[in-house]
Amino acid sequence: MAFPVKRLSSQKSLKKGVLEEELCTGCGACVGLCPYQVIYHDRTVQLHYCDLEDGKCYAFCPRTPTDLNALRELLFNSADLTPEIGAVKSYYFSRAADSRLRESTQHGGTVTALMELALARGFIDSAIVSSRNQEFLQNGTVVNEKAALRNNAGSKFTVSPTVAAFNQLVNDKSGKIGVVATPCQALALAKMKLKPVKNDSGKIGQLQLIIGLYCGWTLSAEKFTKLLTQNNISLQSLKGMDIPAGKNILELYTNNDTQAVPFDDVQACVREACHYCLDSTAEYADIAVGSARFGNDWKEMRRWNQLIVRTAKGKELVELAIKRGVLEIREAPVESLQELKKAAMEKKNTALRNIIRKSGSAKNLLYLDRHDPIVQKFLKNKASDKKSR
Amino acid sequence: MSKLLSPAKTEVLFMGNEAIARGALEAGLSVAAGYPGTPSSEVIENLATVTKERKLYVEWSTNEKVALEVAAAASFAGLRSVCVMKQNGVNVASDFLLHLAASGTRGGIVLVTCEDPGALSSVNEGESRYFARMLEIPLLEPADFQEAKDLTKWAFELSEKIRNIVILRSVTRMSHASGNVICGKLPDKSGIARFIYDGLITDPLRGPVISTPVVIKHTLQQEKVKKAVELFEDSPFNKYFGPRHPELLIITSSVCFLYSQEAISMLGLQKRVGILKFGCTWPLPTKLLKKYLRLTDKIMIVEEVLPFLEENIKVAVVGMLKEIGIKTFYGKMDGTLPSVGELNADLVVHALGKIMKVKYKSLPGSYTREIKKIAPLIPERELTFCPGCPHRASFWSINNALQLDGRGGFVCGDIGCYAMAALSPAIGFNTVRTLHSMGSGTGLASGFVKLNAFGLEKPVLAVCGDSTFYHAVIPALINAQHNRADITFIVLDNAGTAMTGFQPHPGLAVSAMGESVPAVDIPKICSAIGAKVAISDPFDLEGTSRTLTSLIAESGSLKVLILRQICALSPEKKGKKKFLMQVNEELCLGENCGCNRLCTRIFRCPALTWDQIKKKAAVDEVICAGCGVCYSICPQKAIMRTEAAE
Ligand SMILES: Cc1cc2nc3c(=O)[nH]c(=O)nc-3n(C[C@H](O)[C@H](O)[C@H](O)COP(=O)(O)OP(=O)(O)OC[C@H]3O[C@@H](n4cnc5c(N)ncnc54)[C@H](O)[C@@H]3O)c2cc1C
Ligand code: SF4
Ligand code: SF4
Ligand code: SF4
Ligand code: SF4
Repeated sequence: MAFPVKRLSSQKSLKKGVLEEELCTGCGACVGLCPYQVIYHDRTVQLHYCDLEDGKCYAFCPRTPTDLNALRELLFNSADLTPEIGAVKSYYFSRAADSRLRESTQHGGTVTALMELALARGFIDSAIVSSRNQEFLQNGTVVNEKAALRNNAGSKFTVSPTVAAFNQLVNDKSGKIGVVATPCQALALAKMKLKPVKNDSGKIGQLQLIIGLYCGWTLSAEKFTKLLTQNNISLQSLKGMDIPAGKNILELYTNNDTQAVPFDDVQACVREACHYCLDSTAEYADIAVGSARFGNDWKEMRRWNQLIVRTAKGKELVELAIKRGVLEIREAPVESLQELKKAAMEKKNTALRNIIRKSGSAKNLLYLDRHDPIVQKFLKNKASDKKSR
Repeated sequence: MSKLLSPAKTEVLFMGNEAIARGALEAGLSVAAGYPGTPSSEVIENLATVTKERKLYVEWSTNEKVALEVAAAASFAGLRSVCVMKQNGVNVASDFLLHLAASGTRGGIVLVTCEDPGALSSVNEGESRYFARMLEIPLLEPADFQEAKDLTKWAFELSEKIRNIVILRSVTRMSHASGNVICGKLPDKSGIARFIYDGLITDPLRGPVISTPVVIKHTLQQEKVKKAVELFEDSPFNKYFGPRHPELLIITSSVCFLYSQEAISMLGLQKRVGILKFGCTWPLPTKLLKKYLRLTDKIMIVEEVLPFLEENIKVAVVGMLKEIGIKTFYGKMDGTLPSVGELNADLVVHALGKIMKVKYKSLPGSYTREIKKIAPLIPERELTFCPGCPHRASFWSINNALQLDGRGGFVCGDIGCYAMAALSPAIGFNTVRTLHSMGSGTGLASGFVKLNAFGLEKPVLAVCGDSTFYHAVIPALINAQHNRADITFIVLDNAGTAMTGFQPHPGLAVSAMGESVPAVDIPKICSAIGAKVAISDPFDLEGTSRTLTSLIAESGSLKVLILRQICALSPEKKGKKKFLMQVNEELCLGENCGCNRLCTRIFRCPALTWDQIKKKAAVDEVICAGCGVCYSICPQKAIMRTEAAE
């Protein structure tokens, strides 16, 4: 279907173009702005009908049309831009110097260490991270001290409506804000910076830092909890999880042991929306962090991160972290960056294919603008792929 | 002193229902039972005010069938009793009524049914006149207020003469309008109850009261009908008005008599048109009918809704064609008058003018022009729940829970104020999708959930009020539990039969006569049936929607949520505000993105108003009931509440 732009109400357009098309990432950007949208479990729910036409919900959603070029121009130095992984000022392997911290984080603890420093040095006054409640549901939460940051470290592979926390919990007293965000969440926050809504006095000015996470997909909480139950893994005992490099399993770390679930089973729990997502490296963040992939020693590798610095602000923070010995750095081999670009390209190609399959035409890319130069580049790639085959 | 006890020969302004009550008192009534329903409720309500003075037993029964059984017991014991209900109540009572009419009665017993052509306060325009014919029971229909009293009194005498129940039918325009009535004497002695049952089974007066042996009792019943016809032949309640040789004869009954009279005089046809008015409409007194049919060849039958009178007349005419000759009939069957909705003088004028070829000069054009000028000035009033009504809050949470659940669930509605949620969907936030008779919501819901085997996999909810719960829901609930229908059933418990004027019901510790009685506990009944029961205050929007959402999500068993909050109009609450409400205009976002008038566009309590000029919401202090619920919906906390001083 063509994207319903005009003149449906914003809420209806969101419903028809995003929710009903199953493009909703669950980021929460349309939630907490007003009484109409809420997140329940990992569904975005419209409680009542709103008939406004130029609403924030539609404007902020990362799955409504955006002038991405304008966004890139606004946020980045054009010399830094790459088609595969966005703006790159510098690229490292990194980890938190504090080994105790590393133990409680997902990989090298780079994200948590950087946020700690940002708070301590006044880059930001509050950080929004993702926390999980007893019912296994995730929410963004505002924290402003080290202990709380550490408590919420570690990746939860189910969706987190982190942006809703920005909408809902931030007020003039919260001061400067930093957010840990997946690529879709980072895009929503970046869209807010374009100030797409007239007379929106909003708080986007308070947003000072986005630390993005690499992202392959997230899981539907509903399907995933079912999978865990089937495998006799109690939600309460679950401490963490990861995908060991080169193995086709998801490892689940519980209170007393490690269990493995075949990756195919996990794949079936991936949210539909992720199949239409082009971004694997949080291209619209200040800093992007993922897992390191090098050598063969997974145990060693696991406690390192890849780190992309994208903006001047990101650079300032990372350099300070290195200087003060908060982060340990290791030079990334050239192949590593090549690998990353290749993987990122693959995600873009797959997503474009899926988008075209859904819309039924290469002329209709749903939320994407087919004239966007980067999109065009990948469309051409695909065309030449076909020819060469 | 109640005006119901006015001395004989005084002229009193009575509402139709008061006239009926007075007629019953003049007849020496002992027992009255009924179930509230507009336009019938005032008969029992009025009788309940004079129980001491007149030594009456009066009750609101759980439903119309039980009410009729209670009244019949009095009759079996030789007392005079009345049973009062609205039109569809007769359907509820009809199973017992069939057997009662067959067994016969002893003390005079009258079933008063107040009906609602045009469905002014009903969801049907059901007809109970057909029950009279189908169940072979005499039917009386008063045409004015004096008759409402006199015919009621006579109905008891008739009942005792034929030893069977008699139906007296009124309509909204009779029950709820008022007129002068000259009172008769109130008897001095009260009745003594004696139930005799040791005679033969075939002895209707001394044996057990029973409808068998069926053929013998049925024969007896039909003899009673014949006797009634004889009495009707010279009843003063059947009367001819008009010239000796009319060109057209109107045959009518009930309030249609008044409409016909008015139409004749408006058209100036007094010399050309006569009216035969029947007070006794079934069985028809055919001799009397024949006498007046001879007057002319053109007959017009004026009655409301279905052509009951017309059918009966036509059937009778077939048997007398030889004597009276061919007639031309005007009525419902040829489309002269509509067979739906209420009649009024205008409709009769129109029809009569056409037949008589007389033009009716309506009001001058200037009048219409004036009306057109004034009409827009009349403020629009939309159908909605009252300010402070618990139902608005309940449906708000029901909607939220259904949206959160996300499986497209819906609600089966029921009869009470909350039926408005179905009549005007926006009021119920588009949740209620069916509406039928009392208790049907729950039965329908338990049927709907069984359709999951056929692909309808949606959660189904049913709502009902507290009074409706006792009336007809309990069997449906038992059915749901027994057949594993995992519906979510919600009782909107506002502590009274609010829609019809706060008549007490079995959930309350007070009876119709003001005595203290045991209250029957809804949660206990539901638990005893085996349902999972939760209770919530609908004014707690958060809590209610949370509780309901988790109930809806549970499958496999019957779930009940009782939403308890007293009706805003209840005597306990009326005029007392819990909170004083005010909108902080600084905070109010109005039409802007971030709110878009949630309070006045969606929640729509009548006390919330929209200031077009300031573009801000406001609270109309006069209308506001002070429930404080809108405080919880405003995203800006712009609607502020402060605890009202006692
Ligand atoms: C859903 C998801 C998918 C991912 N997919 C990949 C991938 O394919 N490849 C890859 O290299 N890396 C992926 N990552 C990133 C990786 O798991 C680590 O988060 C990253 O390497 C940083 O590690 P760290 O030790 O510095 O993180 P930590 O110091 O442990 O900090 C992690 C931070 O992320 C926040 N967080 C946790 N879950 C979420 C969530 N669902 N949404 C938003 N914020 C969250 C936490 O609150 C915490 O602040 C993914 C992360 C997530 C959440
Ligand atoms: S964000 Fe604005 S436009 Fe969208 S639903 Fe809310 S009030 Fe309406
Ligand atoms: S993607 Fe985010 S903003 Fe868009 S509809 Fe889903 S939750 Fe709302
Ligand atoms: S794959 Fe894309 S849409 Fe899915 S969670 Fe990651 S960034 Fe969001
Ligand atoms: S809900 Fe609150 S913010 Fe919205 S219009 Fe009403 S008073 Fe104003």
